Amino acid sequence: MHCHGGGAEAPEARSRIALVGNPNVGKSVIFACLTGRYVTVSNYPGTTVEVARGTARFNREVEVIDTPGINDLIPMSEDERVTRDILLDGVDVVLQVADAKNLTRALMITLQLGEMGIPMVLALNMIDEAAARGIKVNARRLEEVLGIPVVPVIATQRKGIGELVASLSRARPSKFSFTYPPAIEEAVREVEALLHGRGNRALALMLLAGDESLSAWVHERLSGEEIERIERLRTRLERRFGRLPYNLARERHRVAEEILKGVLTRVLTRHSTESHSLLVRLGWLTMHPLYGIPILLLVLLGMYEFVGVFGAGTLVDFFEGVVFESYINPLATEVVYRLTDVELVRELLVGEFGIITMALTYSVAIILPIVGTFFLAFGILEDSGYLPRLAIMTNRIFRFMGLNGKAVLPMVLGLGCDTMATLTTRILETKRERVIATLLLALAVPCSAQLGVILGMLASLGAEAALVWGGTVLLVLLGVGFSAGRLLGGERTDFVLEVPPLRIPQPGNIVMKTLARIEWYLREAVPLFVLGTLLLFVLDLTGALGLIRSAASPVVVSMLGLPPQATDAFIVGFLRRDYGAAGLFALASQGMLSPLQTVVALVTITLFVPCIANTLIIVKERGIRVAAAIIAFIFPFAFLVGSLLNFLLRSLGVSF
Amino acid sequence: MRVHGTKKKRLEEVLEGIWTLREAGGCTLEELHAQTGEPITEELLEELQAEGMVRLRGEEVELTEKGERLAREVVRRHRLAERLLSDVLELSESVAESHACEFEHLLSPEATDSVCTFLGHPPTCPHGKPIPRGECCSKLRKEVHPLVTPLSELEVGAEAKIVFISPRRHSTLDRLASLGVVPGSTLKLHQRSPAYVIRVGELEVALDPEIAGEIYVKAAVKQKHH
Ligand SMILES: Nc1nc2c(ncn2[C@@H]2O[C@H](COP(=O)(O)OP(=O)(O)OP(=O)(O)O)[C@@H](O)[C@H]2O)c(=O)[nH]1
Ligand SMILES: [Mg+2]
Ligand SMILES: [Zn+2]
Ligand SMILES: [Zn+2]
Repeated sequence: MHCHGGGAEAPEARSRIALVGNPNVGKSVIFACLTGRYVTVSNYPGTTVEVARGTARFNREVEVIDTPGINDLIPMSEDERVTRDILLDGVDVVLQVADAKNLTRALMITLQLGEMGIPMVLALNMIDEAAARGIKVNARRLEEVLGIPVVPVIATQRKGIGELVASLSRARPSKFSFTYPPAIEEAVREVEALLHGRGNRALALMLLAGDESLSAWVHERLSGEEIERIERLRTRLERRFGRLPYNLARERHRVAEEILKGVLTRVLTRHSTESHSLLVRLGWLTMHPLYGIPILLLVLLGMYEFVGVFGAGTLVDFFEGVVFESYINPLATEVVYRLTDVELVRELLVGEFGIITMALTYSVAIILPIVGTFFLAFGILEDSGYLPRLAIMTNRIFRFMGLNGKAVLPMVLGLGCDTMATLTTRILETKRERVIATLLLALAVPCSAQLGVILGMLASLGAEAALVWGGTVLLVLLGVGFSAGRLLGGERTDFVLEVPPLRIPQPGNIVMKTLARIEWYLREAVPLFVLGTLLLFVLDLTGALGLIRSAASPVVVSMLGLPPQATDAFIVGFLRRDYGAAGLFALASQGMLSPLQTVVALVTITLFVPCIANTLIIVKERGIRVAAAIIAFIFPFAFLVGSLLNFLLRSLGVSF
Repeated sequence: MRVHGTKKKRLEEVLEGIWTLREAGGCTLEELHAQTGEPITEELLEELQAEGMVRLRGEEVELTEKGERLAREVVRRHRLAERLLSDVLELSESVAESHACEFEHLLSPEATDSVCTFLGHPPTCPHGKPIPRGECCSKLRKEVHPLVTPLSELEVGAEAKIVFISPRRHSTLDRLASLGVVPGSTLKLHQRSPAYVIRVGELEVALDPEIAGEIYVKAAVKQKHH
């Protein structure tokens, strides 16, 4: 709004501003303020795992870049590496976003950015929360010490954004400098000389700290001899000081605290604010060893009631049963029949495998209400800050699988969409953990669309069926997780997770986020639904469908004990698992599946191959070999588990 | 012990050198010469062999059972002294190191165990190298009141100052440091289960129980004047 005047002239043509800072400090909120482009904002560290780019509102010639949060320029996970690489690439200005109540941490990054010598501005965000905790920051004083513009901001209320934009013209490298112990400084000088301007002080320090993620960079630019010399300096320092990245961070921590002595004042003692806030106390209860469990169950029940009962039940009944069945489909049929008498076109649009009667009915009437309610409820959960607390509550379970509680984030995100969640596995520290999490997501975490359909179908069968389905999937998740952990060897990494404060979700953000995700869903899923329908239509038309059905019959009919038509559901399941589930839903509502068959079919489709989009992301993130191995395992495994279950239930005489 | 004075000191230095090199892989004569500051004279080596502390196998230098025991004690004293000087007394790295080199020859076995207990039986030195365990570490003696204890022994709700962190995995050290969990910081323990949760400044951090056992703290003196 306030964008076209003021300090707009500063950044020259096509300059790039990167938003950088600790995780969960409001970078993405500020990105939206600066560009008008919405990117996901949630209350937990690790929301942004990829860069997002946008054009600044205040100057069309400026590109603004949102980055994943970092705690150190030496990356400890893949998302942090994305940010460091952007900085190495070179940007014109860094806009560092700081959480005003956790300034020490922020300054540790400021000091590193200072070592890089990039022009920068510091935004002191969340001034409101700092004030509520009795913390006052003297921005003017900090500005003097650091020699860069320091602007107090409350991003969620858009306060201070105008000043922030204006200050960009005054961006400059921090003049504040400090030295590490003499032996380290000596080594830095040596490495800097050796780099001949191919890198700065910050890079020299990273090299000396033994940053492995730099090895590609190093091998591209330095000779073997130079690399060896750096390595020698590094081992010498490490022998003398111990772990170097730690020692550097410790030094920066000390300097940061020193700076803050003259800048921070605490008005109230911590205790007086702490015990008074209801949110703070609720925050404790949600991770309490005792009370945390009923709260967790309550959250699950709430989700079930809203998504499973209201979304998948009431809303789907209304849209499918009333809107589509009684109005849209008859109307469409009539219109199509009037417009054309070509049988093929009629069938294509409103036939058994028709685009309107099948693809649109599925995607809009059945899946959309479920996905919509899920995204809404999930958004509230995300913004409240409950998810990191869930990670604490479930840490033990994930340890069993050779992961740690942090993996809960990608897992629950997988309930929204496995594709997005696979990207989020970047926040995990080791390759081993990322592979396990990716496998589990692809195998046993149903996305909301699928889950909604499944819950809707199970609801009509009763609690026992639901228990058998849930128990089987959970058992598979734990069993495969455990075996994969053992098989891949290696150690799990330690659980160290920052826990953000519980916050009252902002309705505006929830609405934006839900709409963005629904739009994304429609764009992603509807074309695939149409494609799947076309596929079935063509297969049916050419008679190939019958052939496939009989070819698959040994598995589908003999082993799984399902009717041959269930093959159709698995065919479209290759495109999207939720579409496969919707196919089963239609089959069941035509009375073609007995309760036992329903449970077996649902277990199989839950474990079925990941959808196309997810497969592509797995290839991109984990490489073609891992992706191929994952699919090659999942495909037969899903049928194996389904068959076993079928056999077991039948021999036990369970029929629900 | 029959060796005395500076001779004793020099023999101990060599034993320490052999022990340290062995940790890094193996100890050959050449490496040993390169490591200890002063040249190792033939006389010294012969003396060590005569005392039955060291034997040579080709280029490889090995500790005998006796040498092993002595080396272990020296290394233990040196590394405990490092902890004491750099983490508790907060001396700079170079000062701490030179004092540690003196201490390793001075501390009596009783004093060594007291220091160890006082520091909460630290498993590693500031450089991350293991401190050989002493008798005090296995016995759960409570006579000497430890000044420093693992975080896992702190009461819930208590505040404490971090004295040192001694993790099995070094990357954990980096991660903690980048969150501001470093020696010198004050923390408050909020809960132990299902995971440890501490508060440092305005930041809450959840940790595995194992890590809580690796953060050594000094409990703040309780001031209850409400
Ligand atoms: N009270 C308050 N909350 C804020 C402010 N700015 C952001 N938030 C909240 O902080 C949380 C994190 O915001 P994001 O923009 O997602 O943070 P980020 O830095 O992009 O986080 P990552 O992408 O995970 O690194 C959200 O819940 C925001 O609503 C602020 O000024 N005041
Ligand atoms: Mg973000
Ligand atoms: Zn040491
Ligand atoms: Zn001991």
